[in-house]
Amino acid sequence: MDVIVQAAALLADPYVILVMVAASIYGLAVGSVPGLTATMAVALIIPITFFMDPIPALAAVMSLSAMAIFAGDLPGALLRIPGTPASAAYADEAYAMTRKGQAGLALGVGLVCSSIGGLVGAVVLIAAAPWLARIALQFSSYEKFWLACLGLLAAIAVSQRSWMKGFLSLLLGLTIAQIGLDPVSGLMRFTFGFSDLAGGLGFIPVLIGFFAVPELLRYALGRGPTPTVKSQPARRLFSGVGRELVRQRGGIARGSVIGTVIGSIPGAGADIAAYVSYAVARRLSPRRDRFGTGVPDGIASASAANNSSIGGALVPATVFGIPGDSLTAIIIGVLFLKGLNPGPTVFLVNPELITAVFLAFLLANVMIVPFGFAAIAGFQYVLRVPRSVLMPVILGFCMVGAFAVENTVFAILTMAAMGLVAFVLEENDYPLAPAILGLVIGPMLEENLLLSLTRARGNLFAFVERPVSMGLAIVVIGLCLVPLALFLARRLRHSDGRS
Amino acid sequence: MSITRVTAIACGLGAASVLALAPAGAQAEWPERPVTIIVPAGAGGGTDATGRLLALGLEEQFGQPFNVVNQGQGGGVVGFTSITTAEPDGYTLGVIYNFAHYRPMGQGDFDVDDMTPIAQYNFDPAGFNVPSDSQWETISQALDDIKADPGAYNIACGGGCGGSWPIALATLLREWDVDLSEVQMISGQGAAAALQEMVAGGFDVVPSSVPEAGPLIESGLVDGLAVFGTERLEAFPDIPTLQEETGLDLELGAWRGLVGPAGLPDDIAAQLSAAMEEIYNSEAFQTAMTSRGFGLRWRDAEDFETFMLSEQDSVRQLISTLGF
Repeated sequence: MDVIVQAAALLADPYVILVMVAASIYGLAVGSVPGLTATMAVALIIPITFFMDPIPALAAVMSLSAMAIFAGDLPGALLRIPGTPASAAYADEAYAMTRKGQAGLALGVGLVCSSIGGLVGAVVLIAAAPWLARIALQFSSYEKFWLACLGLLAAIAVSQRSWMKGFLSLLLGLTIAQIGLDPVSGLMRFTFGFSDLAGGLGFIPVLIGFFAVPELLRYALGRGPTPTVKSQPARRLFSGVGRELVRQRGGIARGSVIGTVIGSIPGAGADIAAYVSYAVARRLSPRRDRFGTGVPDGIASASAANNSSIGGALVPATVFGIPGDSLTAIIIGVLFLKGLNPGPTVFLVNPELITAVFLAFLLANVMIVPFGFAAIAGFQYVLRVPRSVLMPVILGFCMVGAFAVENTVFAILTMAAMGLVAFVLEENDYPLAPAILGLVIGPMLEENLLLSLTRARGNLFAFVERPVSMGLAIVVIGLCLVPLALFLARRLRHSDGRS
Repeated sequence: MSITRVTAIACGLGAASVLALAPAGAQAEWPERPVTIIVPAGAGGGTDATGRLLALGLEEQFGQPFNVVNQGQGGGVVGFTSITTAEPDGYTLGVIYNFAHYRPMGQGDFDVDDMTPIAQYNFDPAGFNVPSDSQWETISQALDDIKADPGAYNIACGGGCGGSWPIALATLLREWDVDLSEVQMISGQGAAAALQEMVAGGFDVVPSSVPEAGPLIESGLVDGLAVFGTERLEAFPDIPTLQEETGLDLELGAWRGLVGPAGLPDDIAAQLSAAMEEIYNSEAFQTAMTSRGFGLRWRDAEDFETFMLSEQDSVRQLISTLGF
């Protein structure tokens, strides 16, 4: 307890608070531009942190990342261009709500749930980091393989109408994910000799192409539905948020737990956490038939999950210096730079410093709420700009975003080409979210499968020999077989009745 | 090209604020506009961090922004290709690292001749990491066992098997007369992920930089059996050197340096070399490198070129033996 008081005292410095506020505003600005990711925002701020003391430097990085991840929801809900891959799971749902005139409700629920998820992650981090890290470290390639399979099953939940079309879309995503250097043998695949393709199709350009470009094309062809946004005073804009939150309390709790657990496993991350909790929410929601038409259940659960996963990812990062994703990799760099070398000793030698960092993360997640509400209230005006002005500007932002993340002109071409593909898919009622899921999970699935097979020298039983991998295998195979068995049973009963 | 301009603003956000603090240097003929430094690695990694440190120093020296551009796609192939095919006008430079494996492995089409070496500023010796419950107490035991039955052990490459750490280990195994064609080397996504996999029971050996394995060594989950440098590391005084343990006088690991495309004008190369030497010897650079656990090593343009050429030969021979 003493440690927490000391840590709080370190944070209660006007300079630190000022730095956090400035970093939050910067994070909101960067995160809300499609294509500019939280990772990029943090990488750009690093040279500035050279001149700061450890606590303000790390507090800045923490508030920046929390804010940027939330801000990714803004263009997702209002323009259907998810700012971060983690928002892609529910961008369609949120946009559907915006079209019904419920933008404030969708974003308000998402905002508060992000904050709650982040707080859960932070509390777990402060209370149980060293303990949880030891468990997370035991996840070998076998367990991660099954986890990736579990993620793939979420595709069925995010395909709204036809699961068959969802499955095809998933396969498309998995195929695109194979382009470039093979993760295990390092051979070139589907590159046709172009060095531009060696790295595969960049994830962010594909994401922007998939979601933003079809919207632009539909507008250009005069068949896009225009979201209606009545100008509303802030209080009315968010009416119903409180009631919805009470109703979603179960989903929020589930999302927070799923996010923290998945986030703490190195190699999984916010994206997979968001997809899995969206799928779980759909399965358990009484309104599951109306998913995709604009119900906040999935948004609540998945927003909570993607923010709580940052707290989870900081667990192995601070305890063992193992980054869960590119964002935590940068945070580890800053920790080293400031002499807080990650490792078990950091909890013994400088417990108040590392606790102050965690508290800063906690505080940042509280600060999301006022900053977020202000940002949403301001951002809704974007929709009142005439479409003929807004659409070209969005196209400009998309191109900048695609270029900025990859630094190649090829990325802009990728965005345009994928946009055309997505347009054709959507015109024929194929859902896009499963394709993005395939793109996220494909490399993880392939790498862990091949790594496991090489290690076990082809022995397939190795996949179920460890207790956790066996448990996960039963869940995955069960989830595949149970619906099939039910289907067959129904078929059988049907034919019995007829005979 | 408004795209380029807007992106330059986005990329320069961080750099610009730093620039405000930097004193304006004397304006020579070059550089009269911002210089791009291509880093063939993602934002946030070690190469990116040292590249940004250099950019900071170069900005102070020349009074122009030096913008870091990350191109880590395809394990660095995309970035290396951009560096070596850029216009040699001094406005595109690159921070590079061990790259000799790309061509023999069929991944890239560039070698030392496609670059103008400027200076090497970093070297990190490889470390030999085993799980703490491993049967091996010393690296000699491990090497003898691997030699006796090369196929029986799972050795992680960390990233691709042509990377700095697996090549360092493979070079050592070759010196120990191990049958390299039998050795089971498995690639993956980076040393950190491989170390985690080893703790979970997946690997017998993971070569990596010592600081990267540091937290796991401290927590008693991993043992560092040797460091492949000429002396012990200050931060890890308990890990013996390769020479102490085996008598082999080898220095193996990862290095980083600054280059331009081939054909960089001599006067620009000379200015850059001089600036690099000044930056390297500055206290700010030395402290910043050491505090993040990066080793310091200076080679001027000429030595750097000789070094890269000899490494290129050695690695090509090694990769054909390994059969990648």
